[in-house]
Parts: sequence; C-alpha cells; structure tokens
Amino acid sequence: MRDKMKLKIGVHGLTSCYGCQLKMASIKELLEVVERFDIEYWYMASSKGEIKHVDVAFVEGSVSTAEDEKELKKIRENADILVAIGSCAIHGGVQGMLIGEEYKEIFEEIYGKYEMDFEGRIGEPIKNYVDVDYFLPGCPPEEEEVVYYLACFALGSYPEEKDYPVCSECRRNGYPCILIEKGEMCLGPLTVAGCNARCPSHNVACIGCRGPLPYNIAWFDSLAKTFKEKGFSKEDVRKRMEIFGKQYEKMDEMIEKVFEDEGGETDQE
Amino acid sequence: MRYVKLTEEKLYDFLEKLKEYGKLYAPVKISDKFYDRKEIENVEDIAFEYVRTIMPAKKFFVPPKEKMFDIDIENGEYKENVENVEPFVLFGMHACEIVALRILDAIYMDEFADIYYASRRKAGIIIGLSCLPDEHCFCNLRRTDFVDIGFDLFLHELPDGYLIRVGSPKGHKIVDENPSLFTQVTQKDIDAFREFEEKRQKMFRCYGSFDNIRYLLELTMNDEFWDEEADKCLGCGNCTMTCPTCRCYDVQDIPSIDGKEAIRIRFWDSCQFRSHGLVAGGHNFRPTKKDRFLNRYVCKNSYFYPLGTSYCVGCGNCTYFCPAGIDFLGNLLKVRSVGEAEVKNG
Amino acid sequence: MDNVYALYKCRVLRTYELTDDVRLFLFRFENPEIAESWTFVPGQFVQLSIAGMGEVPISICSSPMRRGFFELCIKKAGRVTSKIFELKPGDIVGVRGPYGNGFPVDKFEGNDLLLIAAGIGMAPLRSVFTYALDNRWKFGNITVINSARFGKKLLFKKELEAMRDVAEAENIRIIQTVTRDPDWPGWVGRAQEHIRHANTKPEKSYVCVCGPPQIYTDVFNKLIEHGYDPRKIYVTLERRMKCGVGKCGHCIAGSSTFLKYICIDGPVFGYYDIISTPGLI
Repeated sequence: MRDKMKLKIGVHGLTSCYGCQLKMASIKELLEVVERFDIEYWYMASSKGEIKHVDVAFVEGSVSTAEDEKELKKIRENADILVAIGSCAIHGGVQGMLIGEEYKEIFEEIYGKYEMDFEGRIGEPIKNYVDVDYFLPGCPPEEEEVVYYLACFALGSYPEEKDYPVCSECRRNGYPCILIEKGEMCLGPLTVAGCNARCPSHNVACIGCRGPLPYNIAWFDSLAKTFKEKGFSKEDVRKRMEIFGKQYEKMDEMIEKVFEDEGGETDQE
Repeated sequence: MRYVKLTEEKLYDFLEKLKEYGKLYAPVKISDKFYDRKEIENVEDIAFEYVRTIMPAKKFFVPPKEKMFDIDIENGEYKENVENVEPFVLFGMHACEIVALRILDAIYMDEFADIYYASRRKAGIIIGLSCLPDEHCFCNLRRTDFVDIGFDLFLHELPDGYLIRVGSPKGHKIVDENPSLFTQVTQKDIDAFREFEEKRQKMFRCYGSFDNIRYLLELTMNDEFWDEEADKCLGCGNCTMTCPTCRCYDVQDIPSIDGKEAIRIRFWDSCQFRSHGLVAGGHNFRPTKKDRFLNRYVCKNSYFYPLGTSYCVGCGNCTYFCPAGIDFLGNLLKVRSVGEAEVKNG
Repeated sequence: MDNVYALYKCRVLRTYELTDDVRLFLFRFENPEIAESWTFVPGQFVQLSIAGMGEVPISICSSPMRRGFFELCIKKAGRVTSKIFELKPGDIVGVRGPYGNGFPVDKFEGNDLLLIAAGIGMAPLRSVFTYALDNRWKFGNITVINSARFGKKLLFKKELEAMRDVAEAENIRIIQTVTRDPDWPGWVGRAQEHIRHANTKPEKSYVCVCGPPQIYTDVFNKLIEHGYDPRKIYVTLERRMKCGVGKCGHCIAGSSTFLKYICIDGPVFGYYDIISTPGLI
C-alpha cells in the first residue's frame, strides 16, 4: 500500500516580507501538516536553523543579496523538489520593479551613506539562479492552494499548475466586469488565476499580484491596446503592469508596440 | 396552444405565487451595466428591462463548480454527490436562452445522460419573457428569436399586461391552480401582441440569411482580418463563460491534506485557454492564440443536428462581455461579405 | 438513473515492461457480473481513474474475446499516467467505459487487413490484431507494420517477433521497422515505405492507421499510390478528454461544417472524414 513515510519539507525565506511563510503558518490544516510532514527547516515556525536534505523545499522571496544566492543554492542542493512560492520568488515581486539606474538612485535614497554589511542587488526571481520545479503563485498564496500543493506532494505526485487568467474565476463567480463597466485598468486577463477573483469580488480592479500568466500566454500587448482605447497613456499602462510584471522580459516590447504610433508624444510628458 | 392573459395589476401577485412552485430566480441589476439572475425575496426587485445576464442560465444546470464525487483514496471508493434538487423557477428567460437550454438538454440528456444535469433540469420551471433586441442581438439570424417549445409559460409584453403562452403540463398546472390571476385573451390583446412582434422584428441590427455562414467561415479562415481580430483578444475566456451554450468543463481531483480523501470537482473551462487543447506528452492541438480564437467561431457556427440550429443562439453575450470589444456578429458579417467576394472570384 | 461517471473497480493482475516508458497492464473487474457482461469493440477506450489524481482516456489494447479481462498500454507522459505507471499487481483502479465507436470490425470480415502503427499507435491496433487472430477464419491475409524511431521503442516487439515465423505460414506478415536505429537488425525506414511489402491485396483490404498526427498524410498518399481503396482506410485519433461521453467539450475537433466529438463520434474516423476536416489531425 501507500508509503507511510513522512515527507520532509523545508520552508525558506529570501528577501521578502515573509508573508508567504506567514500564510503557510496560518492555514487551518496546520496541525495536520505538522503531523503528516517532517518539517526540517522553517525559520519562522521554529528555531532549528540548519539546511538539511528535504523532499520538498518551499522558497519565498527574491534573490536580492549575495547571501540570498548562496542560501538558495544550498537549498537547491539539498532538495529533491523545489517550489517557488509567492510573487517575489516567481517574478521578483514588488522589489523586482526597480532595475537599472533607477535601482541605484532608490538604493542610495534609502540606505544613504550608511555602511551596509551586504551588497544590494536587483531583486530577481529564483529561477534565474536555480532550477525550479513548481511555482505556487500568490501574494501571498491562497490557503487552499498551499494545502493542494502539499497534499499532491504527499501523494507522491505533483500539482497541476493553473495557466488561465483571473477573469475565468471572476466570471464563474458572476462578479461585474470592472474593465468593461468602470473602464479601470484591471489586470485580470493577464494574471494567473487561483485567488477566486478576490479583488474584483470587492469591486476593486485586479492589480496583478499573482503575477503574469506563464508560457507566453500573457497578452500585455492586447491588454495595453484595450487600456489605450479606454484613454490611458503609455505611462499609465506601464506603471500598472510593471508592479508585478516588470521582469517579464517581453512586457516593455509588447507595450511599446501598442503605443508606437504615438510614442513621441508620451515620451515628452 | 393555450393562451391566457395576465393583467398589469396582477403581475406581482403572479410572481409572488410563483414562489409557491419553487425558489424564484429572476434577473436583477447587480451593477451599473450588468444584470444577473438571483434568488428573489422581494418581487419588486426584478428587472424586466434586462437584455442579458452576466451569468447565463446554464449556471443553474451546470454550476460553475460542482463536486461530482467524494473519494476514499485508501479504498478506491467513489461516492457520488448528486444533490436532491428542490424545485426552482427561472423567471424572465428570453427566447434565445430557452433554445440554449434545449441545446444543453440534448447534449447532457440524449445520450449518456448526465445525472447531475438531469436532476437539476427536472426541478426547473422555465418562465419565458419577451424582449427587445439591442445592437448585439442577432437571434433573428440564428432563428432563435421565437420559441415553440422548451418553456412552461412564456410571457409576451402587452401595453397593459402579458399575453401568456402555456407550453407544458407544469405550465397548465400553474394556470389551472390560479384562475383568479388570469383572464381571457381579447382581440385587443392579439393586436397588441402582433404589434409588439412587428416592432421587434424591425429592431435587429442585421437581416438576411445566415445559413451559409459555416461554409463561408470555413472558406475564409485564412483571411488576414482574423489575425487582427485574434491580436485584440486577451485570452480571458469571458466570451465562453458568458455564452449560454458553451459548457466545456475541466475535472480535477483535490486531495485532502491527510491523503485519505479527495473530492472530484468539475468547473467551467474555456477553449480560449492554452491547456484546453493540450494532450499528455505536450502536444497542443490549438497552440496559438489565433487557433484558440478561431476555434470558438468554428464551434459556435457549426451545425447542431439534434435541434437543426447552430450552437450559437445569437444572444450577443460574447460581444457585450468582451473586455477587448471584439464584435462576434461584426466578424461574421465580414465573413458573409468577404466570403461572397471570394467565392465569386474563385 | 445511473451515473455515467461512476467507476467499476478493477484490479491490476500483471504488469509488463514494453519499453522504458511504456508498460502493459492486465486488469480484471472485481465484480463478477460486470466481468461477465463487459465487452468492447477494438478501437474503443476506457477512462481510467486513480483516486485523488484524476482520470485519463486509454485505448484498450487487448482482444474483446477474453471476457472479464482487458489490457491497457500506458505511456508515462503526464501527471496521472505517471501514477498509473507505478501500479503493482493487486492494486485497485477505477474504470468506466468502453467509449467511442471503435473500428468497424464487422465490415472488415472477409477482407485482408493492413495495420499500420507508429510509436504508441500500436496500442489500439494490437486490439484489432488480437481480435483478428481470435477470429482468424473471418479474415484474409493480415499485415502488421509496427514502426518506431528505435528498436527499443517498438511496442509489443517481442510478442510480434515471437510469432513471426509461425505467422508467415498462416498468411500473417509482421514488419517491424525503425527509422533512426543503426543497431537494429530488422527492417528500417518509415512505416509507409513498407506498404509495398504487405501481403494484403489492395483491392480487398481494409486499412487501420494509428500514430502521431504528422504521419497520416504520407501514409494516405502511399496507400492510395498502391491502390488501396480510400473508403476502406480508418484512423484512430487522440485528444484530451475529461468525460469520454460527449459532455466536457475538450475533444471537440473539426471545422464549422464538420464538428465532431472524438469521444463519441470517434476516435475512429474514415479517410474522407479526415481530409475534409482540417482540424481533425
């Protein structure tokens, strides 16, 4: 029959708000998780602090320091399965918004002339450094998805990742479409589903916190065109889309294409 | 057919009475632009002027998400989760929605009958309501603008009430049990009904034959304008979710954290999503956005043999609820003219 | 009313490694009444369910003449099939079906039979083949062309090889061919290149083809070149299916003038269906 051996898991946080770990620590089924899994490493939940071999390692946060990189590589070496959890780990997150010259300016503004014992880097998704097996999106992830991922691993399988947008869940719930009705920049069509359209349910436009869809099915260009037709400028659209999508390599190019005929005007603002 | 009249003064009494036959669901305004069918407490909340609801009536028969089985993983046991559905009344069903339901009936109940659907369908009472089209409606082209069967009662608006067609034993029962609500239809009512129908027939966006559309569509699949249209598409799936006849669903097993149990659920899927055409091993039968975009046009315009109509009933929901403003009818009209030109040239 | 999605319990009796990523499983129905009455047509498929994981459509690859038992050929490709792959004798699975139209084997009677398989395509054709062997007197000459890229990827290689010499005496020809394997001692080249080696008479043959979508056009052309009747060519197709009974919509394929559910209108289609429907293969 089924293997009764407990699965060993580790939960790790790189540079982040630790919200994903907090979410994991506050799920209803936590007691069952503790019973069913051997938690080898979880800084937030225990004082144990040594990275040991685990079956599944969950990593939240982006790589923003050399320390992060070192830790991440060690986690990878010691994990059979590595799951990137949350928007920072998957897409670089909000801190991943700052790249290039902008980053230096902001870094100086915040840390000024103080001596730091680390060197700051641009926040990058962990897949830029190590192989990632599965992605558990969210900011933070939804409780039922955390449970689903854990349960699938425990069964000796793996989770089915969603590759459809938040709109699908919004329509299944019958919420009014904010994009059509209010003409606001709702990122539902771009954003990976799983939150059950949480923001639209409160009549708030989706900000894209779960990150863009994978596999080149995030149509920044088509959505930018729709926003443009609703009267938004290139800068409006870019600012909205880059909160969680900045490091999506094609985003700029796709937005640029839509606004190219009037590019000159918006650049002069 | 049996006809009776419901006078304006008795309308709310009638609606109140309907509650005795089951939970009453009717269109209400849910926001500035949208309507949806909700359970009715106060019959005065019902929106009679509505053209379309954001969730089509399929939601009552194929819910957006439902549990099919409770699974005992350790013993490999599957316990079906078929609810005992209490009777319910769907008020204000437009003709196109009733045809759409008949399409779903044929799919779900003719062959390999689906018990989940059938148990809900049996419990439903369908009360039709006449309507006036907006610029997205093209039921006239689909020949779904008037229904003969598929309803229990059908209310046709008159200046001072409704002319009711009685379409089923359930409908007769409602009329028989409430004689005080109804009166005889008079010559004046018949004239008003005729006037309404004439007025309605003149209000559509487009006229002519649509019977050849599926052939013209097939012949114009490589036209350039499809690239432009597909380019606008956000791939969000709003068109299929709000379509009254789209009923693709996906099935998933959700295991519990202790690994002993699971539930098998099914939920609305969409051919506009990448995973829809994917098979094990990674081959995708609809790999590009354009493939997926065109797939809906192909599917909706194909012939549904059991009813002798197309899968599309011409309700216009997919256009109205498209955030990118893609005009389904507009594209089909382009096909109709572009296609004719091509056939001539060829 | 019965629930069409309800599952019969089946027990794994035997597993057999066909290639590194394909295994053959022998199943038996737990309920003796079902075992007695359950039957199918070659070319039909079942929905196989692993509790807590999900369902997948799998073509039956054994002969329907053996009541109560059936064999499935599983390629480790996705989430559920990987789990099926790990099944051991004694394990229980859920099965429903059979579904689909299957091959019109009644029509085949009295004719020669040419079976052309590429890769995993041998699975459904093995059902036709074993059915024909069980009813040998009903059929004329039979040729099986089994092809793969490498010798080690040929499905049912040993089984077919073992019967080759005996088969020849019974007018059954077995051609196992590979396209990219220099070490393979047997036939080389694509399946369609060996149609000329078949012992079937084109004018009185039925042809069944199964393989990846891209092979069909070439195979068709070759068959017609050799004089086979297009009306007697059948293929069996594959799609993602969730229900198997014409509800879930995943297997809908075709064009606006010929829209088909692979699960109930297929998976077996005739040559003219295929060529008049761009979306089908």
